[in-house]
Amino acid sequence: MTTTAPAPARSTMPLLSGRVTGQELVLLGVITLLWLALGVSTDTFIQAGTLSNLAYNVAPIALVGIGMTVVIVCGGIDVSVGSAVTVVTVIVAKLVRDQGVSLPVAVVVAVGVGALLGLVNGVLISVGRVHAIIITFGTLNVFRFVALRIFDSEQVAGVPGTLAVLGGGQTGETLHVPHAFVVMLLLAGAMWWYMRNTAGGRHLYAMGGDRLAARLAGVKVQRREVLAYVLTGVLVGLASCVVIGGGGLIGQNVGVGLELQVIAAVVIGGTSIMGGRGTVLGTVLGALLVGTVASGVTILHWPSQLTSLFVGVFILVAVGTDVVRERSRRRA
Amino acid sequence: MNAVTTAARAKDRAPGLGARALRALVTQRLVLLVTLLVGLVVVMKLLERGGYLVASYSSDYLAASLIDAVPLGLLGLGQLVVIVSGRGGIDLSVGSMVSVSGMLFGFAIGEWGWPLVPAVLFALLSGGLLGAINGFFVSAMGFPALITTLATYYAYSSIALVVNDSSPISTGPIQDLTWLTRPVELPMFGQYVPDFPMGIFLFAIPVIVLLWLNVTRGTYGRQLYAIGTNDTAGRFAGVPVGSVRFRAYLVSGMVSGLVAVVTVSQFASARPDAGTAGNGMALPAITIAVLGGVAITGGVGRVVGVVVAAVLVVWLNAGILLSFEGSEGSQYQLLALGGVLIFAAILNGVTTRRYGGTS
Amino acid sequence: MDDGTASRGEVLLSVDGLTKSYGAVRALKGVSVEVRRGSVHAVVGENGAGKSTLIKIVSGAESADAGRISFDGAPVAMASTNAAMGLGIATVYQEPQLFADLTVAENIFVGREIVRGGRIDWRAQSERVRTLLADLGLPERYADRQVGDLSVAAQQQVSIAKAMAGEARLLILDEPSAILTDNEIDILFALVRRLVARGVAVIYISHRLDELFRVTDTVTVMRDGDIVGTYPTDDLSVREIAEMMVGHELANDRPDRDAPDGEPLLSLRGLGRGDLFHDIDVDVAAGEIVALYGLVGSGVDEIAKTLYGVERPTAGTIAVAGRPVDVRNPRAAQRSRLAMLPSDRKHQGVFAFQSIAFNITTGHAHRFRRFGFLMDRARENTVAKDLMAKLAVKAPGPRTPLNALSGGNQQKVVLARQLVERPDVLVLEEPTQGVDVGAKEEIHRLVTELAEQGTAILVVTADLPEALRIADRLVVVRQGTTTVEFGPTARQADVLAAAAGDTGSEDAA
Repeated sequence: MTTTAPAPARSTMPLLSGRVTGQELVLLGVITLLWLALGVSTDTFIQAGTLSNLAYNVAPIALVGIGMTVVIVCGGIDVSVGSAVTVVTVIVAKLVRDQGVSLPVAVVVAVGVGALLGLVNGVLISVGRVHAIIITFGTLNVFRFVALRIFDSEQVAGVPGTLAVLGGGQTGETLHVPHAFVVMLLLAGAMWWYMRNTAGGRHLYAMGGDRLAARLAGVKVQRREVLAYVLTGVLVGLASCVVIGGGGLIGQNVGVGLELQVIAAVVIGGTSIMGGRGTVLGTVLGALLVGTVASGVTILHWPSQLTSLFVGVFILVAVGTDVVRERSRRRA
Repeated sequence: MNAVTTAARAKDRAPGLGARALRALVTQRLVLLVTLLVGLVVVMKLLERGGYLVASYSSDYLAASLIDAVPLGLLGLGQLVVIVSGRGGIDLSVGSMVSVSGMLFGFAIGEWGWPLVPAVLFALLSGGLLGAINGFFVSAMGFPALITTLATYYAYSSIALVVNDSSPISTGPIQDLTWLTRPVELPMFGQYVPDFPMGIFLFAIPVIVLLWLNVTRGTYGRQLYAIGTNDTAGRFAGVPVGSVRFRAYLVSGMVSGLVAVVTVSQFASARPDAGTAGNGMALPAITIAVLGGVAITGGVGRVVGVVVAAVLVVWLNAGILLSFEGSEGSQYQLLALGGVLIFAAILNGVTTRRYGGTS
Repeated sequence: MDDGTASRGEVLLSVDGLTKSYGAVRALKGVSVEVRRGSVHAVVGENGAGKSTLIKIVSGAESADAGRISFDGAPVAMASTNAAMGLGIATVYQEPQLFADLTVAENIFVGREIVRGGRIDWRAQSERVRTLLADLGLPERYADRQVGDLSVAAQQQVSIAKAMAGEARLLILDEPSAILTDNEIDILFALVRRLVARGVAVIYISHRLDELFRVTDTVTVMRDGDIVGTYPTDDLSVREIAEMMVGHELANDRPDRDAPDGEPLLSLRGLGRGDLFHDIDVDVAAGEIVALYGLVGSGVDEIAKTLYGVERPTAGTIAVAGRPVDVRNPRAAQRSRLAMLPSDRKHQGVFAFQSIAFNITTGHAHRFRRFGFLMDRARENTVAKDLMAKLAVKAPGPRTPLNALSGGNQQKVVLARQLVERPDVLVLEEPTQGVDVGAKEEIHRLVTELAEQGTAILVVTADLPEALRIADRLVVVRQGTTTVEFGPTARQADVLAAAAGDTGSEDAA
């Protein structure tokens, strides 16, 4: 008995059939509309300088957002990333200035320190079995303490341009495209591919959907969880390099509040805060949307503080669609 | 015997005094907090005796430092109410609610020349309105509290900044408000006790008493703990779940409105970033609540615990300030806050698993 | 199709002398049974007969106290569900255990993905799943759909497909038909027949005796932790199976009472909600105890929830003491002097780590209000102590945390909560589920007492002896609507047969 399968209307692979989700398309549409509107209504938006500045500003948020997406998809959250950026930034900035370390060494140190901070979070959450938000609220303070001790009551001034290749200036750009943005896109693409196409990536979704069932299916839940925080730490390290590359003066408030911007980008990008659903592509688009709004508000000479208002509204709209979707699904 | 589960059986085993004391320490959060508080004062006194402090850890100093416990403790109580309400309850927006209410209070007093009492009511009302918006999204729409209050944190902080073009209000009438928070000598027996800040009597004690009456002794509290312990069972028992949860966020907003009055008078200025500067006010408030024994899963936590936790953190901070020169003190305060939070959270987890919960 | 047909009829699973006790309760008393390849083997029995314990042991979820299991001729130790799955024993539960945000293909392969060069081979996975689905007669288009977007019935089919993808040789279906519509049941049966044709053995658990004749070839009847017998299905009738499940009728020890027949205090007319139930007509007089008896999936549990305002009806009326009431939510139900004891104590009943007094008074805030907002703790204590004494709750005092009590005492506390406002109508949903024998007796005595004081009581239960023991009248719910009615002297086998779909006995009333 052989059944001849009817020719499928759509391609058989998730990779092809649903390459982008509905939310991503909507975001893309909104961003396009905003760009068109800003391009038509202002002379300055569609200019290399404005756009490359926008891309540079988005890069660190989206970089950390890649890690945050992984963490939230597998059912956690990390609010300590802002402080972690402070720690890595001050350490690396001082190394570059005082020890004159080279670019590769600086990047390796940044990534290493970031990974270590992520490991601390991951181990505390996984072994201590405490809700991630509480632990990372705690490490937020502890990391900030560490950073301020290293700052030693002074901002780090006169940082040489070792990392400028990742910065927002002339050296950090090729054809007006910031290298940091390209690095971010490459990493986001890699992570997007990983989460879609590998067993390990799919297990992240399984964990976030039903932790116990995932463990029963043979997913190494604890190890994946710790790795998610370590990955976030690594990306925090890279984001810090981008920040240092941006200028010679590192103030003590660097990184403060970054966690909220990152979580906002992730949530706007369609990742469910309850875990189990979300994509890195969405997060990148979410960060771009936030960046576009900030840039637009500046260009239109509106009060810059309005950006936060828009961000808040975007978050509510994104969560609203998520909630409605879940409800209609449960009714089905 | 069949009627008693393992948790109660462990109690019947009549352990030694040491084991009982340890048990009380980890399961009775109040015992732990008071022990820590006494230990802290003893250690600081010893340090003072040894000449390690830059100034005296005196009762006057401790009494005066309590003004810092007012905003912290009140916001901690606000977090208590929303976290106890369950279903992932939390309020990240308190800092921006303080900023907005503070600015409106500043306008009322400093620009429109309102008398104090209506201006304070105005601040309470505006905080309540902002909290009601949170409550609407969380209880009526079923949005996750974490993200909802993150969104409103952004939206409100923007409003606070825009409303006066990012500049503070510090006109004469506002600068005249500092008496609200300054230490005063108590009538009658004032010379026997240190001078306590006015804000303790005007703001902290009334709110603590009101919340204690409602949350610990009131029918509202019963409903609040019920839905936080088991949302579904609450619905089956006939508790108006939505309205009870909504009111929790409303309370958090009103408390923020009152804290706005305290901060405005404390700094003699209505600052648009009063509640959001640095790491903001939400984080310390949540820390105080968790340290005070509030379980992030809902249904657990006591008003007294949060109040003692606020005093402990403020006196710890005050001690740290005296132990270091310059800005080092404020840095070690961060370490203490974070360390204490992680410690308390892991302790909560351990006691839940080993002893069946904290009380 | 494969060699399964050749070896059909051989013994695949053999269980010998299995015993299992939970505390003082002996759930299995030396059970022996053999399941053959290519056979659909029904296991039936009333609640508490030991079916689920047997299944849990065979699927590795629990271990037996004594006894031997052999699979495919070799003795095996079933240490865990994973070990059982490794042998080829898979269980499909009523609630599909799947990841809603992953596709069907991914769900089937989670934990053992086909990987090529570090990447999941979507094409291979998808093709395997399509072949699998086609083999099982299921729509191939399911393969790339997200599980969360599928209906419950489709999710169940996916669960079965998942079990088969793991090369299951023994498939345990735990009440698979309870959540399905008739049409969906037909699809399920077709699927089961296809599996059997391939040599798979199926253990089929069901309460619906009529369907056994459509799909099973062997029936094992269990009662009180023992096996009554194993027979070819065709040798039996619904009636005979029911007789065996019930055993010899015990002398009904129901207390002597005169069934009141006054004006109805509760009256349901044409009550319906969506496609869950329809045209429910029931009257309960003051002082009367009426049982609604129906099997899992008959819709009987949904009726109770609708009565109490947890869900809203879409048709019909509810009247209390002759006045129609609009039960918008549980609070409105309470105002209409209705109370309900929910069946799922853990999720719908208890506030676990709160005190007994807290558990009793929650939901009745307005009755304990002093100065408009304070809790009258003295009154609370009195009421709690009063009810604790009345219901014989064994506990040190009203401030004892509820989770320090046994299941029976917890149930009494939840029942006490329903009595605070002395309701006119009390709906009891599975009032003695998960409580020990002593507490069960006491709860029955209490319910009778309440009725004698004039409360109209509606018991919704799947526990037939209980229904017959306490009810004055028993109304059978089948396929979403009220059917036959029995008096208190009815024989269990008659009621069971009626509920299970033996239409021949409907005139037994």
